[in-house]
Amino acid sequence: MLQVDPLRPRDPRLRVLTAGLALGLAVLLAGLWYVQVVRARHYQAKVRQQTYRVIREPAVRGKIFDRAGRVLAENRPAYQLNLYIEELRPRFRETYWHLRAEFIAEKLRTNPPTAAGDGFWTRLLPTSTTRPPRVRLSRADIQSLNLATRYHVISNLLARLGEVLGSPMTLTEERLRRHYHLWPYRPLTLLENLSPLQGARFLEQAPTLPGVALEVRPLRHYPHGSRAAHVLGYLSRDDQATGSDTEFFHYSLPTYEGALGIEAGYNTLLAGRPGLRHVVVDSLSYREEETLWEPAEAGHNVVLTLDLDLQQAAWQALQSLGPDVRGAVVVLDVTNGDILALVSAPAYDPNEFLGGIAESDWRERLNHPRLRPMLNRATQGAYPPGSIFKLVTGLACLEAGLDPGALFTVQPDPANPARGAIFVGRRKIRDTAPPGEYDFRRALLRSSNAYFIHHGLEAGRERLLGMGKRFFLGERIGLPLRQEVRGFFPYPREVRWQWSEGNLANACIGQEITVTPLQMAVLTAAIANDGQVFWPRLVQRVEPPETLPGDHGLSFPPRVRGTLGVPAEHLQALREAMLADTLDPEGTGFAAFHERDRRTPRLKRFQVAGKTGTAEVEEHGRTVDYITWFTAFGPYAQPRYAVVAMVESGRSGGGTCAPVVRQVFEFLEQREPPVAAPALADHRPAP
Amino acid sequence: MTPEPIRHPRRFEPLLWGAALGLMVLGGLFVASATLSPNPWNPPPWYRLGHVRQALWYLLGLGLAVLVCLRDYRALSRWAMLAYWGSIGLLVAVLIPGIGSTQGWGARRWIDLGPLQFQPSELAKLTLIFALASFLSRPRPELATPAAFGKVLGLCALPFSLILLEPDLGSAVVIFPVGLAMLYVAGAPARYLWRTIGAGALVAAVLVVDVLWAPASWQVLQLEPYQKRRLMVYFGKDFVPPGATGAERARALQQYRDAAHNVEQALIAVGSGGLTGKGWRQGTQNALGYLPRAVAHNDFIFSVIAEESGFVGSVLVLALYAAILFSGIRIASQARDRLGRLLAVGVVALFFTHAFINIGMNIRLMPVTGIPLPLLSYGGTSVVCSLLALGLLQNIQLYRATP
Repeated sequence: MLQVDPLRPRDPRLRVLTAGLALGLAVLLAGLWYVQVVRARHYQAKVRQQTYRVIREPAVRGKIFDRAGRVLAENRPAYQLNLYIEELRPRFRETYWHLRAEFIAEKLRTNPPTAAGDGFWTRLLPTSTTRPPRVRLSRADIQSLNLATRYHVISNLLARLGEVLGSPMTLTEERLRRHYHLWPYRPLTLLENLSPLQGARFLEQAPTLPGVALEVRPLRHYPHGSRAAHVLGYLSRDDQATGSDTEFFHYSLPTYEGALGIEAGYNTLLAGRPGLRHVVVDSLSYREEETLWEPAEAGHNVVLTLDLDLQQAAWQALQSLGPDVRGAVVVLDVTNGDILALVSAPAYDPNEFLGGIAESDWRERLNHPRLRPMLNRATQGAYPPGSIFKLVTGLACLEAGLDPGALFTVQPDPANPARGAIFVGRRKIRDTAPPGEYDFRRALLRSSNAYFIHHGLEAGRERLLGMGKRFFLGERIGLPLRQEVRGFFPYPREVRWQWSEGNLANACIGQEITVTPLQMAVLTAAIANDGQVFWPRLVQRVEPPETLPGDHGLSFPPRVRGTLGVPAEHLQALREAMLADTLDPEGTGFAAFHERDRRTPRLKRFQVAGKTGTAEVEEHGRTVDYITWFTAFGPYAQPRYAVVAMVESGRSGGGTCAPVVRQVFEFLEQREPPVAAPALADHRPAP
Repeated sequence: MTPEPIRHPRRFEPLLWGAALGLMVLGGLFVASATLSPNPWNPPPWYRLGHVRQALWYLLGLGLAVLVCLRDYRALSRWAMLAYWGSIGLLVAVLIPGIGSTQGWGARRWIDLGPLQFQPSELAKLTLIFALASFLSRPRPELATPAAFGKVLGLCALPFSLILLEPDLGSAVVIFPVGLAMLYVAGAPARYLWRTIGAGALVAAVLVVDVLWAPASWQVLQLEPYQKRRLMVYFGKDFVPPGATGAERARALQQYRDAAHNVEQALIAVGSGGLTGKGWRQGTQNALGYLPRAVAHNDFIFSVIAEESGFVGSVLVLALYAAILFSGIRIASQARDRLGRLLAVGVVALFFTHAFINIGMNIRLMPVTGIPLPLLSYGGTSVVCSLLALGLLQNIQLYRATP
């Protein structure tokens, strides 16, 4: 098409000019090639970066069931009002010009233009003044006007909405500014947790309220409130979640993270996989359109070993001691280590945490220095076991060769001849049991300190602490609750130099060492089931949500942690003595298991073997408090349940805790169908 | 003078008009795309739509081009100096508040004619070409004198400084390459040309250094703040004054981002188009408002075209301009006389300068100036003047003597 050739002979300058044009076009072509072909990916990435926002949406959280499939934690629909700001843009535009006109009028009034040149020409050409002056606002003025506009429009809308809902609504300018600054492409949440009435009122008036939408989100709900609070734990809300390093999103919808209990321990499985939504935004960051990029995968359901009815019964039993009782009840299946009930009182209501806890609530109620409701006393409270530790001392003594039938004479306390006492070195340890002749059975059921200290010292530190270690005292129990202490129970070698005979004597009667109620339940279960120490099991299995058909979840079979290696006759002797504690009128647990006539047993079919304990809490050498215990298993003939009750500041093990355990067994007995009446072992002494 | 156009074998320039038609079609299409209504629920009336107005301007321009072709360009050139002074008068008038309008922008570039606005600087470029051509068409030896050369420079300098006063640096700068190209083809002595180019480059360099790096009190040329920012963006100099505090630094960086925004977004638009583009009306840069709506359909129309039709579309646009330019060169080489040749060269130089600066600005080859892309950018004066210029080329071809 180029007829350059004819030019050549005629006009070299025109030819040079042509070459110049060609060169210029070639430069443009090369530049465009570089930008559009070589660097295209770079600029396409830039477009994505500036037009896409990624929003993370949490998945529906998995449910938590008890062993029978009863719901412990579920999700309920919660209604909230969201404002889609971009739909208000036509209103913003209208209001903006009003406000702008006002602003300019105000500005001209306070600060009239004084430009001399303009004035001269204006006077020279008066016709041109008929038009309103064009004013150019500074960028800062425009920005503040824009914000004022949005605030004005949204405040008016909120006032209308408040009238509709019947409760005034406010939005601070600061909050709006923040929303605009951070996530203008997100709907602004105006009100959460609407009541059904408010929802109905809104829907009636919705067409007159542009941009406002009623939306539903799943909200955690614990139908049994505080009954299983410490096992379930609670969720804490995170409005500014940042996610892990591998995730990328600009904004996350409010996320709930398990803070404690099963909710925390199985958080990853319960939470599922959050979904990602991509929002296309325009240059002002308003939402233009959105697509669901990755749908959320619902969380797994967790099935616990807990028995809801038993849990409730244990709770009721503990509450029978009074509203502010501080204690714990643990029920364990002795055949497999399943935790059937785990109660700690006082408890919190996990539902309360969903909306966030007020500072004052936390300070005055949940962080109460004495009640400490957040503490899971069954696993997090380490208490001196007191006399219930004599079960371990007894086993150690039997292993050291103690003949259960041999008699030991307890000397009277010189200061109080009605009670016994024993001298360890120069220190006197008082006894609640009277002086007299004691064999193993009577010593255990009367809980004689003198008997067990005497024989315990003979057995020695190695045997005593070694026996405790076979029950894994002082070790973690490994529950997925994030709330566990190991208690203080040393290995013999650890205290070889520190412990004197006096320390050992204290240990024989359950002082100086600490255990948790759950550890005591495991211990009792091991005595009941002929020496198998189980890992306590709280989670039976994890079930996939219905949306994942190929996934079979996880199940956790019972696991044995260790065996005692104690001769069966030792355990039998111990069990018989424990049974006598509730059957023998002299036993410390007798009163709790019989009617006031001291003859009729309260449990018709179950025989319960137990041990009471009252530990002293000393501070600066003075007894400041008592920890009372009762640990038991039953039915005696075919042990199924180990039940431990612990109450802080109780009166005595037999008086405070034994009735709690008895109530639990009453519930168990009444629930159990009377199949074959178990052969009752007759351990009553002949009248 | 009776030309004999009927016997002439090439009276009509199909290539020229084909390319122009192609550009006009593209212009209509992409002005429509660039002025896509941001609120579809409330579209403006049809007579306010960008592409409808643009089509009207095309028709008006084509009509005027036909009118221009009715008379021999030599007859027209008798009016050259009158037209020149007339447009100088308009350039003076536009500076007067009340006659000149700012259209809400910072510069007085428009004359308000009720519903329409008219930009005299566009017309002044055409009349300058006419005036220069008629002045330079005198015999070559006369041009070799310094006095003649000085007169030519004066002819250029007058509209240049008036346009600079508006201020419209871009339009003013266009005058120089046009003038130089015409002087060169007219056969002005090379040494004069080199001196002029050297002096111009020196002045420009000093001014740029002065504006960008000299302290405020030393600055001879007081540019508008936005012009200064554009230059700083082009030369990649940040706005942070020496010894700034944190807050000042942050503000300066914000200003830099604001100023660099158009350039940056235009570049992203062009680059993200890739090889084949995103499709007509599918460009996101403009639709989502990243490319400001105020400039997408005029100064930055090329980035809309490049984004939506990709490298293929860009090459098409370049090819259409090349067709016009090289037709113009051929017309110049075949022209009957020096006047026709110089006129053709002037028109070619004007088209090329506009296209080069505007497209170059979209890919960051050139600093941002408000120069329209001939026949593509939305804007009445620019479209009409461009079509007038093409009419002039056709005129030269039409009335050339048989070889």
